[in-house]
Amino acid sequence: MQTSNPENTRARPALLVALVVLALVLTTVYFREGEAGPLHQSRRVVMAASVPFEKVGEFVTRPLRAVGSWVSGLGVSRADLTLLRRQNEELRLRNAELEEARQENERLRSLVKFVEARGLESLGARVIGRPANSWEGIITIDRGTAEGVEQGMPVIGEAGLLGQVVEAAQHSSRVRLITDQRSGVAALVQRTRVEGIVRGSIDRSLTMDFVSRDASLRAGDVVITSGMGGVYPKGIVIGEIASVRKQPNTLAPLVGVRPTARLSELEEVLVLVGAAPATNAGSGE
Amino acid sequence: MRRALPTLAVLALGFVLQIAVAPYLAIGDIVPNFLLLVVVTLSLVEGAPWGAATGFAAGLMFDLIGTGPVGPMALVLSVVGYATGTLQANLFAEGWLLPLTVLGVASLTVELAYWLILALLGLTSGFWHAFVTVMLPEALYNVALGLLIYPVLARFLRRDRPMKTLRRIG
Repeated sequence: MQTSNPENTRARPALLVALVVLALVLTTVYFREGEAGPLHQSRRVVMAASVPFEKVGEFVTRPLRAVGSWVSGLGVSRADLTLLRRQNEELRLRNAELEEARQENERLRSLVKFVEARGLESLGARVIGRPANSWEGIITIDRGTAEGVEQGMPVIGEAGLLGQVVEAAQHSSRVRLITDQRSGVAALVQRTRVEGIVRGSIDRSLTMDFVSRDASLRAGDVVITSGMGGVYPKGIVIGEIASVRKQPNTLAPLVGVRPTARLSELEEVLVLVGAAPATNAGSGE
Repeated sequence: MRRALPTLAVLALGFVLQIAVAPYLAIGDIVPNFLLLVVVTLSLVEGAPWGAATGFAAGLMFDLIGTGPVGPMALVLSVVGYATGTLQANLFAEGWLLPLTVLGVASLTVELAYWLILALLGLTSGFWHAFVTVMLPEALYNVALGLLIYPVLARFLRRDRPMKTLRRIG
């Protein structure tokens, strides 16, 4: 390889200005065009092209996660564990795979029970991609428009609400988790029926906003979807109140919510295909 | 053409690492930015115009694999790629200390600028919260990864020069 030609490396402000203008034009076009616009279409193409790589990443890291899950789920003494460690590697990995299959079976059973109890129509999906940057709480699932998934459909796990489909390609979709900073869910405190909006944040914590200052709330209260706005069906568990702080200079108390679903360890999810897709998936409810 | 092929290869590698590897290297919710690492390396090796162009391409990739607006990261990485590339005339890429310092500053600048654009678009809020929970940890993480990846990338892009300790052109 040759050393760079000084002519090629000389600063060219005109090029930078052109690229900056182009980026601004792209941003403007993105906001002005509809879902069928070229930039939205390009994103779906990139998403479809990314799926094989995401699956490889998920597949390659699966044994590591499986072994971790196996070790953490093994309720044996240290002596037994030491004995097991002496066994050959093949047996250990096979055990890990079997344990993984059992846990997956249990999770799927829980998911099906959860949905059947609420009379919801659903579609099972596997998580094949996790957030690719620090700014978004987005996962990728292996179901898309070909399987009936549409933008705006709610996504749940065995422990409750996970998020909403924000982008659907043919055989994959992106799901915005409820902890994402752009997510908002109309919610209800189960015990007192106090309503509010559960919002995500940049550090993936949940807060319940627009709650009346006089509302009776306490740590441990269960928070569920209220059904207002028509995006999420009513009664899906979001989490429980972790903290309530009333400050003299604020109109509403600061309510922290702990999600019931373990959002960082998702593997299988259900898309509520029976629920009416929201018209504006980007902003939640 | 001699520069285009390795550049495309490195950009493609950055894209694949970002979607297939970075999510599994996340510490908490902090995901490393391989595309930024690629842009800084290319800029330091190839100069300002190349840095701006590759910054734009990498930023566009970053925007397209996310769900936010398309364009902000392309803008930010173009500027950062260009600014980093202007250092090329005064800095050999085969060192590692100064390039990593540049990477740290570039990473923090990218995060700050990206936050600013998202805030202007009404898509994020709370500067100090974002700074403490995302920007600073990610910049540190990128530098840590840069320690491992930058020398390899720089060596691949500049096979005519061995990687040495830091030295400046007089």
